[in-house]
Amino acid sequence: MSIVEQALINGILQAGIYAMMAIGLNLIYGVLKIINFAHGEFLMISMYIAYWVITLYSFNIYTSSLIVLPIMMLIGYLLAKFLIEPILKDPEINQLLITLALSIILQNIALLLWTSDFKSLRVEASSYNIFGIILPSHRLISFIEAVVITILTYYMLMKTQIGIKIRAVAQSPEITELLGINSKQIRILVFILGTVLAGFAGIAIIPIYYVYPTVGQNFALIMWVIIVLGGLGSVTGALLASFIIGIIESLVATFYTVELARAVIFTLFIIILAIRPTGLLGEKARV
Amino acid sequence: MIKKILGNAMYRITLFIFIMITLVIFPFLPINPYVIHVAIMIFLWAYLAIAWNILGGYTGQISLGHAAFFGLGAYFTYFSLKWFHISPWIGMLIAAGISVLSALVIGYVTFKYGLKGIFFALATIAFSMILQDLFIAFRDITGGSLGVYYPYTGTNLLYYQFESEWPYYFIILAMLICELFIIKKMKNTILYFIAIRENEDVAVSVGINVTKFKLFSLLISSVLVSLGGTFYFQYYRYIDPSTVFGLDTSLEIVIIAIFGGMYNVWGPILGAIILVPISEILRITLGGSYFGVYLIIYGLLLIIVLRFAPKGIYGMIESFMNQRAQKLIIKISNNKGDDKQ
Repeated sequence: MSIVEQALINGILQAGIYAMMAIGLNLIYGVLKIINFAHGEFLMISMYIAYWVITLYSFNIYTSSLIVLPIMMLIGYLLAKFLIEPILKDPEINQLLITLALSIILQNIALLLWTSDFKSLRVEASSYNIFGIILPSHRLISFIEAVVITILTYYMLMKTQIGIKIRAVAQSPEITELLGINSKQIRILVFILGTVLAGFAGIAIIPIYYVYPTVGQNFALIMWVIIVLGGLGSVTGALLASFIIGIIESLVATFYTVELARAVIFTLFIIILAIRPTGLLGEKARV
Repeated sequence: MIKKILGNAMYRITLFIFIMITLVIFPFLPINPYVIHVAIMIFLWAYLAIAWNILGGYTGQISLGHAAFFGLGAYFTYFSLKWFHISPWIGMLIAAGISVLSALVIGYVTFKYGLKGIFFALATIAFSMILQDLFIAFRDITGGSLGVYYPYTGTNLLYYQFESEWPYYFIILAMLICELFIIKKMKNTILYFIAIRENEDVAVSVGINVTKFKLFSLLISSVLVSLGGTFYFQYYRYIDPSTVFGLDTSLEIVIIAIFGGMYNVWGPILGAIILVPISEILRITLGGSYFGVYLIIYGLLLIIVLRFAPKGIYGMIESFMNQRAQKLIIKISNNKGDDKQ
């Protein structure tokens, strides 16, 4: 039975990482109403930046964030201002295709610059053994990071001025404009927040995952399942769904194979889309 | 529009004959065989893009997972050949049958539950990903991510294997021409598709069985793409899940169709003629590790087209022609006005 428990714990730890990405993606959807298919690529970019900074300049994982996060903010800003803002009024399918195109472009630029070789960091890994369950140290740290960031984001959205403004713009951009809030600024801010969260996720997983150009795509697709399951626009929903998906994935991967786990998740995705597209905590329960 | 450019019947018939002759003797000209390979690729992608367009451009259901049918066509031809030694000409039909079944499944689930627009697109992506993962997972049967390879056993018409390029050239050309004929035959049904694309609710209120027609559109589209997958397998004799089921493949089809112009049948052909050589040239000149550069260009072109020229290259040419025609009309009517004085 301890295999099941191990798989469960693995799933929970994994869910922490998913949650960080999912919150960012969900915020972007909630406020900009846009499906950002390139979110996985933000993860990939932050991983590469962290990798190079650590390998070439001997930063460690934590100090690398001093470089990674500002760069992610810049990228987020540029994309938001020059690619995303102009297409906000376009048909939804066009937005989807454009972000998909962006994702392909970013993947292949990474392929061009850094080849498809899998890169990994040599880090000391240890693990804790609690009640017979093994908790690898890096996964545990990532999980704790994820929890902290989630709580911070939640707090920001609920309790701070800026959070209230963000939620207002998510509910109705036009009326918030009337009330004197610059919704364009908020949108750009939210997009940057999303990219930074992806950046955090990248730093968190770099000790655990290989770095290669398409690493983002794997995450991105699972992200979409999580977001739809949780309910588009609902941050709490994204959290809940992260755990559900993380656990399911871990259980199937442990007892069968990783690819089968993904196949199961995508099947679940289609079923959810068909039966309950608003997800668990739907559009009604905003954040 | 073709008629407008080409003028009277005499012109058109001679041009048509000229094109036909060129197409037929092309593979026998003393040119680098690689050029023939590029031509084959152009025909294949044009074929796939037109097939996708039946569902995407005419019916308005943008599918981003069409590689699913492509992969099923390729793999099941392989299975029929490897396990039952069935000639690929028949294996082709078996594979198409499987594709139809899977199209029915995904079509039923998505159309019956009213998935439209981006949700439909996401579902199709998920569908192709499921197939990709399943085919990687069951590696004992499918060879997993390493793919499968069928050895060349000599030129054999019955077994769809040829040493040189020209038989493949004519097969894919014939498939493309047949496809054009099929679309021409389906002209009336296509009107129903367009009605659904323009406004689904109105189509329903006019009495069109939207689900049935969408399903029909998907079925035709999937069968054609599946046959293309068979061709691909027979041409390369090597397939693997990430290529034939991959998101990249689905997107290439979509980009060629949209870039060329997705509202009629010539657009995708135009798209293929422009885009496929770009990818091939980049592949030769830049070599191995620059494998993905053409995708960067494809991506940029897609973004540009979607923002500035949603009707694709064909649409741009069309509106250019219309503008010139209008200016001509204005000029003529001005002259006439002067005369009257």
